Amino acid sequence: MLVSTVVLFFYTNALLKEEVEEGLYSTEARIVAAIRAGDNPYSLPPLVDFKKVPELQDEVLKDTMILDPFEGEIEPFKELTTFRNIRGENYQITVRSLSWDSEDILIAIVFSYCFIILLAFAILFYVNKAKSEVLWNPFFENLKQMKNFSLTSETPIQLVDSDISEFSDLNAEIVTLTNRVRSDYRNLKQFTEDVSHEMQTPLAIMQAKIENIINEKAISEGQFEQLTSIQKDIRRLTRLNRKLTLLSKIDNRQFVNLERVSISDLVKESIENFSGLSDARIAFSQPDPIVVDMDRHLAEILCNNLISNAIKHNLENGNIQILSSEGSLTISNAGAQSLKDPTKVFHRFYRETKGQKSTGLGLSIAKKICDLYGFEITYHFRDNCHVFTLNFNNS
Amino acid sequence: MKILIAEDEIALQQSIYTYLERDGHVCEVASDYREAACKVDLYDYDVVLLDINLITGSGLDVLKALKDENKRAGVIIISANNSLDDKLEGLDLGADDYITKPFHLAELNSRINAVLRRGKFGGDETLEFNEIRIDTRSRSVYVNDTFITLTKKEYDLLIFFITNKGRVLSKEIIAEHLWGDHSDLMDNFDFIYVHINNLRRKLTVEGAKYIRTAYGSGYKFIED
Repeated sequence: MLVSTVVLFFYTNALLKEEVEEGLYSTEARIVAAIRAGDNPYSLPPLVDFKKVPELQDEVLKDTMILDPFEGEIEPFKELTTFRNIRGENYQITVRSLSWDSEDILIAIVFSYCFIILLAFAILFYVNKAKSEVLWNPFFENLKQMKNFSLTSETPIQLVDSDISEFSDLNAEIVTLTNRVRSDYRNLKQFTEDVSHEMQTPLAIMQAKIENIINEKAISEGQFEQLTSIQKDIRRLTRLNRKLTLLSKIDNRQFVNLERVSISDLVKESIENFSGLSDARIAFSQPDPIVVDMDRHLAEILCNNLISNAIKHNLENGNIQILSSEGSLTISNAGAQSLKDPTKVFHRFYRETKGQKSTGLGLSIAKKICDLYGFEITYHFRDNCHVFTLNFNNS
Repeated sequence: MKILIAEDEIALQQSIYTYLERDGHVCEVASDYREAACKVDLYDYDVVLLDINLITGSGLDVLKALKDENKRAGVIIISANNSLDDKLEGLDLGADDYITKPFHLAELNSRINAVLRRGKFGGDETLEFNEIRIDTRSRSVYVNDTFITLTKKEYDLLIFFITNKGRVLSKEIIAEHLWGDHSDLMDNFDFIYVHINNLRRKLTVEGAKYIRTAYGSGYKFIED
């Protein structure tokens, strides 16, 4: 590109020079002819000038700078001075032609080159872009599908077909992979459900038999202690089971009944239920009552879980404060120190303390419910309090 | 009272049978759908305990047949499935109560008695134990015709005691009856102790001394 610019420049320059010189010679010839014919051609300085001179000299062709009286500036001229003997008289004929500026030519060439290049680039760019869009369209469509893909969805992933064999291969692999993952996930879920379900009956039998033993035989106080302790463990297993079942039901989106639920009323009910079970002081203030659309049963579980969590982890004589305002519910209880790993607080079976009473599922169920409805639940430790904030506005 | 226990798990069926027979109920058992449907069709029961998942069919179909024939039996559904939908379907079909496995026999017994009271006395629902008389409709308690004021928990506790009279009730069973799933909040059962003591005091003032301690940590409602 650069070489061609230079070559073009010199070529154009030479061409122009030749043309102008040719023009000068032809003008000179015309003047000679006019003088010879006896006409008196007009002198037109600075372009045409002739005068009689005593002797002939060699002709001169040169570049010169002359003040152009019309434009008022010094311009480059090409000048041809010849000496002729016409009808016995010696004439000096000077013809000049406005010359050109090499710089201008260079600029013009560079400019047009740039313009052509830019134009070519622009056209190529848009053509390529349009072409690529058509070409990659299936890819991006499929990418979107994959981003929206959910393990829990009932339908297999729907991919757009493409003529390009690489894309087709990719699609085939994705379909196989997602189908396998989905079926694995379904089996795992089914397994959890089945296990939970099948465990209920043996547990019921154990429970019933223990009750009959207690009531039928004369047993010792120590045996009674043992038996009630077994009953307690059966209860624990039962609760764990029910919570796991609940989690998988939420996963399966089996709660589809939406209704207007007053969270504030549920909180009040929940506090009422817990009174008599705990001597924790619960203060509930509600400048703005909250009403949301959700399944009533899940709303109850959500409120109960958060409040019972606050009661369980409250310090002795600590206060529990519940505040509903501006679409968010804040539940805080007194705590000695922040959790060691706050990010794990909503994980299944995460426990900071070895509390026997906790299944380690309450908060993860609360989180699941929030996820289901797009609510936001956050934990932080502030002013010696564990604070859980439920934001209902996002839904 | 005549009770049919339709439950395909024989061990559970027998345990329930043993527990209920001690109260003088006449119990019969059915171990699969066909037997249950057959017995329900042939005989009249006061209460039918119906497992939803009977081996060869659904307990809900037995319930439908029962209601189609306008039998007066009270029905308590036993299910391994703690699902609200199942519960609502069962109650919609005319079941009187719904209990989820695993359950305490004392709890089952108290539900059976509640169904029996409703079914037998119609509008006049009364529970009596010697000098104690309870009007379950107005939830008022009289000892020797003297009205005594009980809190809601004390009232529930008294009903639970009377329906399970003569049996040892551990604090866990009592806690679960009174608070359901919330009872797992309790680190200790001191709260139960407070409620029982209050009830015992109120009854004893009127001369009804029936609540006894059993095995150190359990309770028993018993006549001398």
